[in-house]
Amino acid sequence: MQVNIPRRAFLVGSAAFAAWPRGLFADAPASIATAWENQDGTATDSVMVRRVHLDLAGRIPTKDEAQAYVSSAAADKLPRLVDRLLGSPEFADYWAMRFCDILRVKSEFPINLWPNAVYVYHARIRKFVEENEPWDEFGRELLTSQGSDFRDAEVNFFRATDKRTPEGWAEAVAQTFLGIPPAGLPPERRAAMAKRLESLRIKNTREWKEEIVFAEGSDSRAELCDEVFGECRAEVEAAFRTLVRRWIFGPDANAGAKGARMGLKDVLREIVLSGEYARGSVTGGFPARRLDAEVLDDVICTLSDAKRDYQSPAPEPFTFLPKERHTVCIEDGSISNGFLTLFGRPARDTGLQGERSSDVTAKQRLYLFNSGRLHGFLGRVVLPGGWKDNPLSRLPLPKRIDDIYWRVLSREPTADERKHVMGLWNRRGGGKKGSKAKPYDLLRDLVWCLFNTKEFLFRI
Amino acid sequence: MKAAKSVVEIWQWGGPSQLETFDPKPNASRDYNGGLKSIPTNVPGMEIHEWWPELAKCANLYSVIRTMTHTQFGHESAAYLMQTGRLPGGGEVCPAIGAVVSLAKKKGYSGDLPPFVILTRAKGRFSEVGFLGDEAAPLVTGGRPNSARFAVDGIVPPEGITPAISQERFDLLAQLDGWRPKGGGNAARAEEFDKAGVEARRISEGDAAKVFDLSLESAELRDRYGRTEIGQSLLAARRLVEYGVPYVTVNVSGWDSHKRHFETMKRRSNETDKAVAAFLTDLSERKLLDSTVVWMSGEFGRTPKVGWEAPWNGGRGHYARCFSALVAGGGFKGGCVVGESDDTASKPVSRPVAPQDFLGSIYELCGVDPDGPLPNAKGKKMTVLPPQSEAGRLREIYAEKA
Repeated sequence: MQVNIPRRAFLVGSAAFAAWPRGLFADAPASIATAWENQDGTATDSVMVRRVHLDLAGRIPTKDEAQAYVSSAAADKLPRLVDRLLGSPEFADYWAMRFCDILRVKSEFPINLWPNAVYVYHARIRKFVEENEPWDEFGRELLTSQGSDFRDAEVNFFRATDKRTPEGWAEAVAQTFLGIPPAGLPPERRAAMAKRLESLRIKNTREWKEEIVFAEGSDSRAELCDEVFGECRAEVEAAFRTLVRRWIFGPDANAGAKGARMGLKDVLREIVLSGEYARGSVTGGFPARRLDAEVLDDVICTLSDAKRDYQSPAPEPFTFLPKERHTVCIEDGSISNGFLTLFGRPARDTGLQGERSSDVTAKQRLYLFNSGRLHGFLGRVVLPGGWKDNPLSRLPLPKRIDDIYWRVLSREPTADERKHVMGLWNRRGGGKKGSKAKPYDLLRDLVWCLFNTKEFLFRI
Repeated sequence: MKAAKSVVEIWQWGGPSQLETFDPKPNASRDYNGGLKSIPTNVPGMEIHEWWPELAKCANLYSVIRTMTHTQFGHESAAYLMQTGRLPGGGEVCPAIGAVVSLAKKKGYSGDLPPFVILTRAKGRFSEVGFLGDEAAPLVTGGRPNSARFAVDGIVPPEGITPAISQERFDLLAQLDGWRPKGGGNAARAEEFDKAGVEARRISEGDAAKVFDLSLESAELRDRYGRTEIGQSLLAARRLVEYGVPYVTVNVSGWDSHKRHFETMKRRSNETDKAVAAFLTDLSERKLLDSTVVWMSGEFGRTPKVGWEAPWNGGRGHYARCFSALVAGGGFKGGCVVGESDDTASKPVSRPVAPQDFLGSIYELCGVDPDGPLPNAKGKKMTVLPPQSEAGRLREIYAEKA
């Protein structure tokens, strides 16, 4: 029987795909079962456990976490995992980082929040994430705040812009809460909002970089909040959902279906448990995203038990961050290094979501191919904790290959993959009398390969 | 006038003292000159500070400006001004001269290395690229040019990874990189990844890595530059110029001598003097100086009056009202002094030179119109430098009339 249906109609998730009699033509649709995708075009468990960890906690699962999830037969294992991650401190760290991007949390030029204010503002933003405060209520607190930037964290909303004028603040409000970038803000709307912010002032104190935000004369910011979060509530809600969905589904995502609440955890829970999120990334259309610079740094450092080395040049004398501290937790956008810049960490100058780059460039791949720093880490992924008395070194080679796959890619290798790695071992004369081939070298080269796969570099 | 092909910027992060470089004041009191002297150069009438004897021997190759002046006394804003020609603010983060020149010259350049290379660390406190984004991003080498092997992260494979091992790795990678999305955005992303990989491999296996192999230079020449970070960085810079890289920045930190200024400054001057003199001489001997602009400056100078008391113990603070810069090659004449400062190098007496005048001259000699458009994503109408008077540009020391 010849059925002429355009191939596109088989896109997984499409009505045509759902209606297609699977039993009769099991090999007709594009999808075949792989390590990444089930026959029906949904993501496999090992992809899901990695995806959810990356999206909610900004890290990959440990070997134990990945194995426990994949081997569990519980019907509610996904919702349980999601709830556990949403309640974890890592969730608050990771999503605070994203909100600090759009709220421009950095010490230096062109924002100039300076360190004390950066730390209190970051802590406040992290609290919003951790305690699932509704976005509009948090917004109201920011917009009606007054006091010292050291003690009243919310006032930093008005400091975190290089245009500290009523028009500049109006642009910040429109961009943050209505999702309208300055270029798209109609002049009359900007003017109306600016009028409500006219009495706002910022003054210095005798303390270094302490500033007081206050209203001089009649303060009409409460009215502004009623307009933004009351009259324009639907707009705010759509902008918030769009923001969150773009972080998950990429820059083309829309606001999706209307939800009841504006808590970050509620919106994320709904997204992560949706059918849209469960799609595979091979034929299923789930959009892959290159790992964030900070997350990639943390993944590599965690796998290799490496120390980080971040410092702040302001104020003098320099501040050195604890070397164990995760990169995702860096409060200050002004603290950076060449790696983070290379992998597209946003400068936090504009607060636009697109400031963070997830492109893949030749320079990044050169780094992953050749970096001396990374080279030093590879062996430590092979034998975490060092050479001495490491039980891993007593395992047979195929078991060690499996172990590395679980730790680096959160899954076991396929039969073919095992065969390819062992093939190289045999070509090097491994295990033969008089051969100089060492399992350690092979496994180091394997880690190098895995670090250079798309599966590693992308959240798929 | 033929445009310069390359620019080498020697950036003295922190702000070096004008008095202990190119504007010595031997007749001022010890509170200003620390009791130190000037020395004659091979150009009659031109004197520089006694800590720069090597540069004194080749003053015919460069000119000094003694009347650089602006109003920013903080590192970040002063560096921003000296690099972009603009004051901070206004909702834009403007690109530094390195990013603008390299982007403008990208078309005529076909090397595998990016057209903008920074040795060895980025400036850090502001982004050189500004709003130009990734397209203008420099290669920041990292590594230590003065070690046995200048391991430029990413370009030069790590020690012990032979071509044979590298080949085995790439073969295995081809077998293991199995996630191949079908159609849609993911296929495009995968293709971008693969293309970047092919490009990266071509670069790392091509001639580019050899540019950083300083062992290809004679030991005698390496000694002439000095076996120091700055010396070997400048040697690498010369090799980059030969390779054709349009803009090379050498960031030299350690000039922010608030405390114990004279000890720091002497050490810094010593190695920098040797390195820069060897670099200019080498470029000149290889007939590269005429096509290469070299400039050296910090974001500002230092307070003319020495703070002898604790906690400074002989220190100098930030000072932007009057400081010095060096320019050479690429259409600049050598052996000239621009501007004159007062008795204590505190303010310009004649011919003040603003950062815009200074940058405008370099742009002009590179064939980049300072009044030409500056591309930006917002589609805003911007020029390379803010509108200014051409009269300020250093045309009196151009080798030919612009």
